Amino acid sequence: MFPTSFGPWLDYTINGLVIGNIYALLAVGLALIFGVSHLINFAHGSVYMVGAYIGWLGITKLNLPLPVTFAAVAVGCGLLGAVIERVGLRPLRNAPRIAPLLATIGLSVVLDQSAQLLFSPDPRALPTQLPSWRIAIGGGSIGALDLLIAGVGIGSAALLYGFLRFTRLGWAVRATALDRDAAQQCGVDVDKVNRTVFAIASALGGVSGLLVGMYYNTIDPNMGFQAGLKGIVAQLIGGVGNVPGAIAGSLLLGLIESYGIALFGTSYRNLFAFVALILILVLRPNGLFAKARRLPPEPLTGTFIAPSRPLVLPGWLIGLLIVAALALPFAVQQPYLLQTLGNAWLYALLALSLTLVAGTVGQVSLGHAGLLAIGAYASALLALDAGIPVLLAVPLAGVIAAALGTALVFPAFRLRGHYVSIATLAVGEIVTLVILNWESLTRGPIGVTGVPPLSVAGTPLVSGQWVYWIPLVVLLVFAGVQTRLLSSHLGRTLRAIREDDVAARSYGVDLNRYKGLAFAVAGFVAGVGGALMAHFYSYINHETFPAPVSMLALTMVILGGLGNVAGAVLGAVVLVGLPELFRAAAEYRMLIYGVVLLLLIRFRPQGLLGTV
Amino acid sequence: MPTRPPFDRSVFRRPSAQPGVTRRTVLGGALALAGAMTGAGALAGGSAAHAAAASGEPLWFGVSGPLTGPSAQYGAQWKKGFDLALDQINADGGIQGRPLRYVFEDSQNDPRQSIAIAQKFVADPRILIELGDFSSPASMAASPIYQRAGLVQFGFTNSHPDFTKGGDFVWSNSISQAEEQPNVADFAVTSLKLKRLAVLHLNTDWGRTSKDIFVKAAKERGAEVVAAEGYLPEEKDFRSTLVRVREANPDGIVLISYYADGAAIARQLKPVGLTQPVVAVGSVYSPKFLELGGEAVNGVHTRANFFPAEPRPEVQRFVAAYRAKHNEEPDAFAAYAYDAVLVAQAVIAAGGTDRTAIRDAFTRVKDIPSVIFGKATFDPDTRRVSGVRNVKLVVRDGAFALWDGAPPTSATN
Repeated sequence: MFPTSFGPWLDYTINGLVIGNIYALLAVGLALIFGVSHLINFAHGSVYMVGAYIGWLGITKLNLPLPVTFAAVAVGCGLLGAVIERVGLRPLRNAPRIAPLLATIGLSVVLDQSAQLLFSPDPRALPTQLPSWRIAIGGGSIGALDLLIAGVGIGSAALLYGFLRFTRLGWAVRATALDRDAAQQCGVDVDKVNRTVFAIASALGGVSGLLVGMYYNTIDPNMGFQAGLKGIVAQLIGGVGNVPGAIAGSLLLGLIESYGIALFGTSYRNLFAFVALILILVLRPNGLFAKARRLPPEPLTGTFIAPSRPLVLPGWLIGLLIVAALALPFAVQQPYLLQTLGNAWLYALLALSLTLVAGTVGQVSLGHAGLLAIGAYASALLALDAGIPVLLAVPLAGVIAAALGTALVFPAFRLRGHYVSIATLAVGEIVTLVILNWESLTRGPIGVTGVPPLSVAGTPLVSGQWVYWIPLVVLLVFAGVQTRLLSSHLGRTLRAIREDDVAARSYGVDLNRYKGLAFAVAGFVAGVGGALMAHFYSYINHETFPAPVSMLALTMVILGGLGNVAGAVLGAVVLVGLPELFRAAAEYRMLIYGVVLLLLIRFRPQGLLGTV
Repeated sequence: MPTRPPFDRSVFRRPSAQPGVTRRTVLGGALALAGAMTGAGALAGGSAAHAAAASGEPLWFGVSGPLTGPSAQYGAQWKKGFDLALDQINADGGIQGRPLRYVFEDSQNDPRQSIAIAQKFVADPRILIELGDFSSPASMAASPIYQRAGLVQFGFTNSHPDFTKGGDFVWSNSISQAEEQPNVADFAVTSLKLKRLAVLHLNTDWGRTSKDIFVKAAKERGAEVVAAEGYLPEEKDFRSTLVRVREANPDGIVLISYYADGAAIARQLKPVGLTQPVVAVGSVYSPKFLELGGEAVNGVHTRANFFPAEPRPEVQRFVAAYRAKHNEEPDAFAAYAYDAVLVAQAVIAAGGTDRTAIRDAFTRVKDIPSVIFGKATFDPDTRRVSGVRNVKLVVRDGAFALWDGAPPTSATN
């Protein structure tokens, strides 16, 4: 029907480049910010959304000419970037490096929710004013907007390259990126550099939002999260902090996705992208386009997680709290409260698991919801398809989650810092996509219905008290075991890996073995948590444990204090409880939640109970 | 069918289970203020102005649905449908003189929150029936709680084939895909004479179920399905998917989509060189589909469940009032929500203020006026409604118009 000399492959290639173009717009800004502040900016997607809305106001409400709209978007988002740096991040410059990461998550919640309140959650059309001619290539065609997007992407990268190479401020930026303290000693105004970088990157992010909004003729307040995720993946493929690499990485990601669709079908699209990411991280951890050799990151200068003095709760207080928690259902019979606290205990299991790998061993995982999903599916399918009693299926699911989780993360053991986070994020996505596509086992998007509840001797344990007690008892057991573990020599070994893995190795610690052990324990705990959720929910599908659950878990862990067992429980109670407390505020509650989160990070960056 | 555990009345009769009465009053004031500031009615604020016609102690239903988070747009549409229905009901004297009101709890479409909301509703003695949640994971996680406590969970967007199997307190007037998809197949194969179909579907429980039924129905009518592609709800780029479709050489394209993704796909057809006619399921019926799709949706056929120009009285009453109140065209999700309130009204009117009697009323109420069904009557075995109404539409010059029986020329005008 459309005979072309290259067949459809030319089209797939063009399409890959078209979408890669779009990823590049975000990846460049993320790379710039990462290059200077070593920060994965999760608020970048939100700035991109804000840019789209400023553009929408300019085009449809104020009828500004297109170039004026672009200028307004760039200036508006540049200012927003500077404000984010000044208000959200600079106060945290001496806090543990994990705190600014969390602050960007909080900022993105605040920005997304504000946009939703101001502009309503409905998607809006963003008509383009560009000419409508198209150039035919292969069986399809590309339009003026495709070329403009490519032009903006490549043009901004070229400008940035020139700026970094040939201007004094650019030198200052590069000096700061190499060594912040040394740059400061040489008289570089580091704050100004940071502010400039955030302003430039955010201006670019805003313009991307406008361009992409025009491209799809759709903008909505939640457009930032997915876009930001793809941008992060793309810049990692190219090599973090590497601006030309980010463009190449984006185009490559676009091509991988496009060829993935061509070969296997649409539902495999992201599976392909994330598997490619893991492969690249494992084979070339500095990205495809980084120089082959690079200094090992920050030798002997501490790591990702700064030490702090933890708040030690006295034993009698902990004992009292445990007794009070166990006795609560006798005093309060309100099922809503018990259910909410039951949820908090279930999420505390997840937080407990994450605080072990992220806090104690320093392997910050962004894909922990994947472990929940493995545990939930394992237990549900064992109970339903294999006919195993639920009481047996739950611990078995824990074992399966431990084994599978460790095997999946194993390739990432040789990575450090942010790379571990991104690799685990990819693992989490892969788990979801495998569940979606492996229909013969998981029933695909239809999900698993009729998961039986926990029962003893034929009596289902489903009343308000049991949804509270079962997770609580499981949590107490695991928390107790984990506390014992951490105070043993094993705990010291794990913390040694976090503090300085080179030193730990030179003392004869086999890093892979201990990391594997930690992930196995964490996988078991999270797997049991996911299994319990499956039996309480009775229905699960691939959307039950989405990526934001992993973010929530990390927020709980950081809020409570990394590596801190009591902190993980407290973080879970606070973050499951806060949205419920703010329920009265209806549409405003997530905004309030974001603000409270930001304030907590600002005034208690080491977590409520401190890092252990 | 799962057996029903013994009905636990104690759960919602406990005095300690209603701490919210005074808080709710304060909260209602705060929300009315917030509503006045933003112009958006919160809780039942929108209906308060008309409640004068119905006085006395209000009757309450609870809603569990997304007001924030990625699905918030659907919750916002629900609210518009609820408020409109309540305006009309309460202006006409409510239910036996008592106004009908609702409590909307935001679940973010998240099972963790929908089960907490479920516990809240079952323990709140004012709540007579619950509506929602939006997606299957959020709704079906809460079903066992409603079932055990004996509060009707009425899902009106829950087309998952197993949703109402959650128990005899779980009812739905969501359009059954077993009924809807053969209609779409009829339109594509019998009316439009398309024989080689390519299907693009949302890869969710709804999209997947719909696709399976559609493919079967299309084959029975003598058509061949040459490609089927499932995509994730957050996807926006479809160019490579559409090249795959193009290579399968179809003579028609079927979209099992919601309006935003349906519009995005339509816009990318021409850039990859596809000009075949497009048939979409009724859930694309929304003014947003036209706004987001622009010129690209001209020529798209759909089998909508209602059409503003339809002379049926239920439709006219809904559409005219919706335009007057919200100053925009209604979409399918607002219509589902509006219908859901009419069902709630009917079963509360028939069953009174006892939750079990309300459940039993579902088997007795007949011919509830409905935008989507014309007259809705529940089947006591499936706990669903059959007899969905639909009209054949085509987008012409940026507006939905009745299909005049003309064969498709080209999807791009």
